[in-house]
Amino acid sequence: MEKEGNASNLFSSSSDLNCRLFRPNWENSVDQNDPFESALSSMVSSPTASHNNNGDNIVLRELIGRLGSICNSGEISPFNNNSANTSCYSTPLNSPPNLNLMRESGSNQFLSLPTFSPDPAFPERAARFSCFANTNFGGLSEIPPKLDPTKIPPPSVQENWESIPAPEKNFMASRSSTPDNAADSRENSTVSEQIPIPENGANPRKRKSAPKGKGKDTAVANVSASENSESSGKRSKSEEEKANQKASKDNSKLPEPPKDYIHVRARRGQATDAHSLAERVRREKISERMKVLQDLVPGCNKVTGKAVMLDEIINYVQSLQRQVEFLSMKLTTVNPRMDFNMEALMSKDMFQSRGSMYPSDGYPFQSPCGNEAPFPPSHGRNQRPQMENFADAASQVSSFWEDDLHSIVQMGFGQGQMQNFQGILPTSQMKVEL
Amino acid sequence: MAESSNSDANSRKRRKIDPDSQTRWRSEAEQRIYSSKLMDALHHVRRPGSGGHDAVRDAADRVLAASARGRTRWSRAILTNRLSLRLAQINRKHKKAAKPSAGKSCSRKPAKKLPPVESKVKVLSRLVPGCRKVSLPNLLEETTDYIAALEMQVKAMTFLTGLLNAGAAAPA
Repeated sequence: MEKEGNASNLFSSSSDLNCRLFRPNWENSVDQNDPFESALSSMVSSPTASHNNNGDNIVLRELIGRLGSICNSGEISPFNNNSANTSCYSTPLNSPPNLNLMRESGSNQFLSLPTFSPDPAFPERAARFSCFANTNFGGLSEIPPKLDPTKIPPPSVQENWESIPAPEKNFMASRSSTPDNAADSRENSTVSEQIPIPENGANPRKRKSAPKGKGKDTAVANVSASENSESSGKRSKSEEEKANQKASKDNSKLPEPPKDYIHVRARRGQATDAHSLAERVRREKISERMKVLQDLVPGCNKVTGKAVMLDEIINYVQSLQRQVEFLSMKLTTVNPRMDFNMEALMSKDMFQSRGSMYPSDGYPFQSPCGNEAPFPPSHGRNQRPQMENFADAASQVSSFWEDDLHSIVQMGFGQGQMQNFQGILPTSQMKVEL
Repeated sequence: MAESSNSDANSRKRRKIDPDSQTRWRSEAEQRIYSSKLMDALHHVRRPGSGGHDAVRDAADRVLAASARGRTRWSRAILTNRLSLRLAQINRKHKKAAKPSAGKSCSRKPAKKLPPVESKVKVLSRLVPGCRKVSLPNLLEETTDYIAALEMQVKAMTFLTGLLNAGAAAPA
């Protein structure tokens, strides 16, 4: 089972007894109905005597536990203690640069909290992502003894989260009231979104998986919004700028926190008057839509620059419209035949030889000739092998023309769609390149 | 689609078609719906008699626009164009007799716009129905949706022609 498999991986990879101590509790708790509460209780019930601020830690651990139980992915990768944890990011969303950026941004943000020794950004990240690496427990031995590794909830963390308890404490102390609750609620909301995805909370050692990508965006935006709500003033804003600047390398939408009207934050070294801000917003909108179009229009990956992209888009739209026109002509030629043959279809044998299809196949291709000359022959060639599929489906139902056509359509889509459309679209590609 | 979810959060007031365009037009269900509706429309077109290939094309475009449920500009333009087109044709016939040249020249000589991007934007806006005076970001949005819809239309019509060809040919 997945749990046991992961458990074995865990034991083999890390040498921390604390994890092992913790895991059974975690697994047992996960089996219960409410994994979060039970995990929390299990965590709390674990030896916490050595820890000073139980209250704060409980709150923190609750938060982390909730968030951590989300980060269940089926994979466990062996972590090194203080490595950049490139191994834990096997999903495309979890690239190490992301976390490094966040780390730097987090460190910028928490300049006021110098007591965070290794990673001041940790509590923020812990609150956001809360996937806890198991091997970090091993690395925790480096940490001053007051940091009790057992306090750390089993859910694994990506990187060096050794400083979990201490920075958590201070983090909670400094950002106690509304922003925390706000962030909490928002993170809980992102948490609750992620819950259905990794349902088995049996795996405390999780990489930061897909939830991170989404959580990061919303969480960073939330943090920036919550930072705004705080009265920390310019300092946090300037730090947020840097954070946004760095984080915006990944996501260009960060400068626009989710508010009623669009807030644009001037990045470092950019003009801040209203006109240039508005222009920047407009340019960003345009560029983001061009990116979407780039994905939509085939063959535009290498193209950069608006003019060439627009050319490609125009060509593509024109080719699509021409295709529609051509297909409509074909439909008009096909339709009258169907109407004439309605009664004939009913009476004749449905399962005629497929060879008879071919000569009649040539007929519709000759009629809509003219400027579509390059198109039909290749079109016909592609379509002929696929006609047989249609013949199978259609011949059985063509007697019940109107009633069952819809069912044919649905039935045929499954089998015909792949082949037929792939045959057609490459020919349209040909046209575009011409 | 984190990007689209963010943009959704950003602009809740504006109607948002970005998250829908790719997923909506590419779903098989949508294709099936379109095909069935198109079949119905084609039958209605067929019955009165042959209207030429443009009738089919207009029917196809209309059904496509109807599937958009009025959320996009081009779809609304297609649906309303059919009403205004007839009037325009009638008016043009009258005006053509009276003023053959003047009207055309006035409308066909705008100020020369050198920036190539600008001229291409104009061409694109002419291609997408109903988007002549739309700003560039909105135009790009409409184009995205329009391209996705056109792709679906091509797929569905190809499938239908194949189906009809096979259906017609097999018993013959």
